[in-house]
Amino acid sequence: MWIQSIATSLLVSTFLLFLTRRITTAVKILSLQSFILTISVGIVWQITGISHFLIAAILTLIIKAVIIPTILYVTIIKIDVKREVEGLINPYTSLIAAIMLSLFAFYLTIHLNLPHSDFGKPYLPVSLSMIFLGAFIMIVHKKALLQGIGLIVMENGLFLIAMSLGFGMPIFIEMGIFFDLLVTVVIIGMFSYRIHSTFESLNTENLQNLKG
Amino acid sequence: MFEISGLLLTPVFTGLTVWGIRNKQLCEWIHLFGSVLTVIFGLKIAYFVFTGTPFSAWNDFIYIDALSAFNISITMLVSLTAALYSIGYIRHELHDNTITGEQFHRYYLWYHFFIVSMLGVSVTNNIGFLWVAIELTTLVSALLVGFYQRGTSLEAAWKYLIMGSVGIAFALLGIILLYISGIDVLGEEHQALNWTVLNHVASMLNPQWMTLAFIFILVGFGTKAGFAPMHFWLPDAHSQAPSPISAVLSGVLLNTAFYGILRIYVIANQTLGASVHTWLLGFGLLSVAITVPFILVQHDLKRMLAYSSVEHMGIITLGIGIGGPLGIYGALLHMFNHSMTKSLLFLAAGNLNQVYHSKRMDRILGMIKTTPVTGILFVIAIFAITGLPPFNLFVSEFTIMLAGFRENSMWASILFIIFIGFIFAGMLFYTMKMAFGQTPLKVKPKPLSKWSTTALFIPLIFVIGFGIYVPSFMTDILNQVALILKGAGR
Repeated sequence: MWIQSIATSLLVSTFLLFLTRRITTAVKILSLQSFILTISVGIVWQITGISHFLIAAILTLIIKAVIIPTILYVTIIKIDVKREVEGLINPYTSLIAAIMLSLFAFYLTIHLNLPHSDFGKPYLPVSLSMIFLGAFIMIVHKKALLQGIGLIVMENGLFLIAMSLGFGMPIFIEMGIFFDLLVTVVIIGMFSYRIHSTFESLNTENLQNLKG
Repeated sequence: MFEISGLLLTPVFTGLTVWGIRNKQLCEWIHLFGSVLTVIFGLKIAYFVFTGTPFSAWNDFIYIDALSAFNISITMLVSLTAALYSIGYIRHELHDNTITGEQFHRYYLWYHFFIVSMLGVSVTNNIGFLWVAIELTTLVSALLVGFYQRGTSLEAAWKYLIMGSVGIAFALLGIILLYISGIDVLGEEHQALNWTVLNHVASMLNPQWMTLAFIFILVGFGTKAGFAPMHFWLPDAHSQAPSPISAVLSGVLLNTAFYGILRIYVIANQTLGASVHTWLLGFGLLSVAITVPFILVQHDLKRMLAYSSVEHMGIITLGIGIGGPLGIYGALLHMFNHSMTKSLLFLAAGNLNQVYHSKRMDRILGMIKTTPVTGILFVIAIFAITGLPPFNLFVSEFTIMLAGFRENSMWASILFIIFIGFIFAGMLFYTMKMAFGQTPLKVKPKPLSKWSTTALFIPLIFVIGFGIYVPSFMTDILNQVALILKGAGR
């Protein structure tokens, strides 16, 4: 019951990213999503009592729900983008496409016959949807920072799928992945800042000079 | 034990020291010392492994067999060349005010971090950590690609960072599936991601999950290895990065990503058999084919070389895909030969770029008269890269072609010959114009730093030497590596 509703709220938070008008709201939703992820790992720890889930939950909370959104937020303040999020297609069309994608993810999980742990079954289609939708966010958004947000959604999906297929990756690998993600976000912040100061805009449409 | 710590810690300390110290001349000497020391450690480990047994440390977390040692050797040779070359190149950029004093220090910091991240990929036994290290190579090299902070280099760096990260995210999905199939056989076991362990149980893994894992990893690491159609970041990144970095990207980074694929290939080959080869064959041929039109209409020198890297990664993949003793041998030899030749080409292109202040091939004219040493070496390397005898790449390309006829992949070999025929014509056409055209009047030949020209002779030894004959120690090394690729290593 608990697990069902958490899985649903993770999916809903991903859909919300398609409806937001402001980058700051998108960052807040991302932080919320990571927080829900923390709770879901915490519950798994409660059920199984395996200590490595506790470490994973703490890392998720600190890195994904606090530090990463803060870095993104600071970047936004620094380059002062208050304007609206622009998508290549309008938000409702992209929301419909997103729903189709997650239906496809549900269809896939039924047919792939993947293994899963006792608590992991409801998470499987959700995590697969998050991976697809993360990639989709990166494709439909023009702003550089939102491509970073899409990447983190993908990473959240991967984290969830590792947990629901088995017992998660070994903890030191998990730490390595967290470290990489953190560095990625720092570099995304840096590049966004430089792209903004060079082109006076965060639109990746400006990044189309190299061809052939 | 001591060597492995030395290998991994030397670049880190060198990078940090060079970043911390403000005296530029001292920095160059420390950079040189650190690079040479790293190379000594690396080659010493490789020597131990080739002449003795695989090397493992830190509770099997580190495991170096002939395949890893082979990759380490290539990394060391290219990094030595690039390190020597960097001194002259960066000095020139600083002198021209292309970069600031602060960037001078940052370049060396990131350079050494880049090298150590690639060494990390080669030495680890754990596929999960291999992923972490490959992601790190993307992050550090993205900083180096965006080093010049121009609009175009930012574009290249951004594209590279995003495409690389997404690609590798799919590889992580594959690795998770691999881990699941591992613990399915081995039980809850933290070593279920060690390929030495997976290799032993390879034939018992679930084929359905293994197929998915292999495809995701092939696509993911393939993005970083420059396979078509995921290669779009590659020409941008290679053309915008500083030239010594382009050489390392092309000569080592692509190989390192391919090394990740090879590790999975060894396991998947035992679980799945022939279907693995079909995938590799497909990606290989597509990568060669897709570069043909781009090379034929290219204006930018470094982009042409970058597309040629896509082509050659395709040829290596094709060789492994064809398989058989000859195919594997050819592919491995080609890996080595391509690294040497392409790093020579990128470094020579860097010299030309600095002399002519342009990367456009229609402005780089009469290079043999303007910069005789670089010009002649560049022409030799172009002959080599297009597969002309008596140079090294001819030997390996010919071996791969022969393997295709022998292993019932005749059509692959025939397509391969047609494609490289076109590429040969295109590259040679542009090179001849560059070599013998009329030098533009406004170009004032400026003496290049001796570092920038001497460094070119290190890869040249292999470009010419391995064309004339492949020494017996090399054949022995390649046979050891081939044995591992068959899954019989240890």
